[in-house]
Amino acid sequence: MEKLNHHEITSLLIQLSILLAMGRLMAEIARKINQPAVVGEILAGIILGPTILGMASPEIFEWVFPPEGASFIALDAFVQVAVVLLLFIAGLEVDLHIVWQQGKQAMYTSMFGLVIPFVIGFLFPYYFAGFFGNADESYRLVFALFLGTSMSITALPVIARILMDLNLFRSKMGMLVISSAMINDILGWLIFSVILSMIGKNSDSMSLYQTIGLTIGFTLFMLTLGKGAMNKVLPWINRKLAWPGGLLSLSLALCFLGAAFTEFIGIHAIFGAFIIGVALGDSEHISEKAKEIIHQFINNIFSPLFFVSIGLKVNFLLNFDFMLTLAICAIAFVGKILGSGLGTYFGGFSKAESLAAGFGMNARGAMEIILGIVALEAGLINEKVFVALVIMALVTSMTSGPLMKLSLKLQTSDTSHPAFERKFIRTWVKEKLTKSPQRKV
Amino acid sequence: MYKKIGLALAFSPTCKAILSEAKRYKHLFQASLTLIHIGEKTEENENYLRLLMQDSQLDPETTEIIWEEGKPAKKILSICKREKIDLLLAGALKQENLYNYYVGSVARRILRKAVCSVMMLVEPAEEIKPIHEIVIDAEDQPYVQQAMQAGAYLGKAASVHLIHVVRELKLYGLAMSITSETSEFEKSEVRKSMVNEELKKVEEKLKGHDFDRLKVNAKIIAGKSGFELMQFSKRVGADLLIVSAPEKKFDLFDRVFRHDLEYIFADLPCNLLVVKA
Repeated sequence: MEKLNHHEITSLLIQLSILLAMGRLMAEIARKINQPAVVGEILAGIILGPTILGMASPEIFEWVFPPEGASFIALDAFVQVAVVLLLFIAGLEVDLHIVWQQGKQAMYTSMFGLVIPFVIGFLFPYYFAGFFGNADESYRLVFALFLGTSMSITALPVIARILMDLNLFRSKMGMLVISSAMINDILGWLIFSVILSMIGKNSDSMSLYQTIGLTIGFTLFMLTLGKGAMNKVLPWINRKLAWPGGLLSLSLALCFLGAAFTEFIGIHAIFGAFIIGVALGDSEHISEKAKEIIHQFINNIFSPLFFVSIGLKVNFLLNFDFMLTLAICAIAFVGKILGSGLGTYFGGFSKAESLAAGFGMNARGAMEIILGIVALEAGLINEKVFVALVIMALVTSMTSGPLMKLSLKLQTSDTSHPAFERKFIRTWVKEKLTKSPQRKV
Repeated sequence: MYKKIGLALAFSPTCKAILSEAKRYKHLFQASLTLIHIGEKTEENENYLRLLMQDSQLDPETTEIIWEEGKPAKKILSICKREKIDLLLAGALKQENLYNYYVGSVARRILRKAVCSVMMLVEPAEEIKPIHEIVIDAEDQPYVQQAMQAGAYLGKAASVHLIHVVRELKLYGLAMSITSETSEFEKSEVRKSMVNEELKKVEEKLKGHDFDRLKVNAKIIAGKSGFELMQFSKRVGADLLIVSAPEKKFDLFDRVFRHDLEYIFADLPCNLLVVKA
């Protein structure tokens, strides 16, 4: 049986130590300038990776982070586990009943915020595939579908933090944005999983339709019967087993099992972890304290490992394409602000509030980066597109708060009559929709 | 406050106790009482009801009786609408099994489709027990002001010892950013400011209602909405929980993706008053 030798174990431990220490240092610097920790962690990776350390001193870089060998594989396994756990806690944050309670308004905001960026993000890469770095004609559709999905995703934790800083967290608009982001998360990851299964690299034994059917079946099962079963078992776990040890180990065991299942059926492991997180997080028997412990454990150990490791994989300078990055940022901003803004406006909010919601939903954060790295590893995008996506994720997260604040300032000078305008627009659209089939007849 | 009280009465082992409770609330609200029975109107049944009323010292002259046949929940709701009942009283089991939870018992159907305020009596007693503690849900719901009003009214009318006015601290999506981006001190400050904000909202809700001379405890709880309120009511041993009715009638989806109130409906911690108007 092969195993790590003394030198490889030492190397792996040094790597983990450096990644965690540097990640924390840069996250603290980011925190000091009021930026999300992920910005600092990505920068830590860029400093430690081929972009800076690799260019300044290739020998040291290769000694610390060997590009091959057992310690490289072991570190990669750590990173894989980290991304699975990250999606698990992202799922824990989704609250299905608040989504349901927000009802039509949240549906408007999330659907417009999903469909419009998706369409814009799909059309440009589909018709200008060369510009977006897709040389493989057979993957054109899947490639465009992926970029469409990447434009429609939203980062719930970033938005929640921004809303709290702006004192809007429990406002009507705050709740709308939070629940819309939750819907976007669920649908975004579901679509992404289907796209991954379309590449057909992961499972040899199943057809595309089987994979899609199993994905949807798994989601529906976990969010109904699976959730119910967990609800029955959790009180027993809380009562009979050591706390929080029992809850922690069994919920992570379930997370890995779900992840293994989705990986087995040909979509990525992260989707299974996310859905298990949603089902578990929705249970009333997972206390805030238990959630906090899970978050502490994953956010402060596995999350920096993952985000710092991003910078180790890609040379951000060599793969930086200004025009491509600009195009991806422009599509991201226009699609999301227009989509979510319009949805919120039709949901009954003022122009300024709708614009603010659009800016809020524009934050892509860590979720975009996870989406990007999975696509890069699946061979769906090249390194240039990945770098552009990471930059877009960081720019949208950093600008989301200030832009939201600015647009809310417009609220006082917003003297239009939105309710009247909306009624007019709705009536006009309704008339058009009802008249058009008659014309055909 | 409520002028016309309806009592959905089934001939069950607890019906005598339920009648006693109805009499108590009739006096507390100084309202008229209408007994609603869905079932066959036979001589035997009529005699039984007459005896029950006699035992409970309910005046047959001033107590209206409505007998109708059909599906109980549907009929009761339509009678409430037709007779303009302000408050409907009914007996209910504390908990529902899985089948009843999804299919719905008569009591839960009335709660879910209520057309007026509804009070569910879970442990009715022939010998009336005093109301010591009331819990009022002060969440931003459509009839929260009316719920506060009902709490204040009952607090005075029933000489209640303590009224807990509860709001829930919600942390949707916040845990992830707070755990990695704040120090221990900042975290506690964030929490403190959120709790203070909620307490201010409770104070705002209390304004405009007569809670003078009543002992009020403003309480902020964290966790799953509805479930934590139910647990809190159990913990303090509340005699009555008052909540606002939802904006819309509930359907199956509200049970699958549980609405806050469904946690309470599924496991009633004490008597429950759902205030509609």
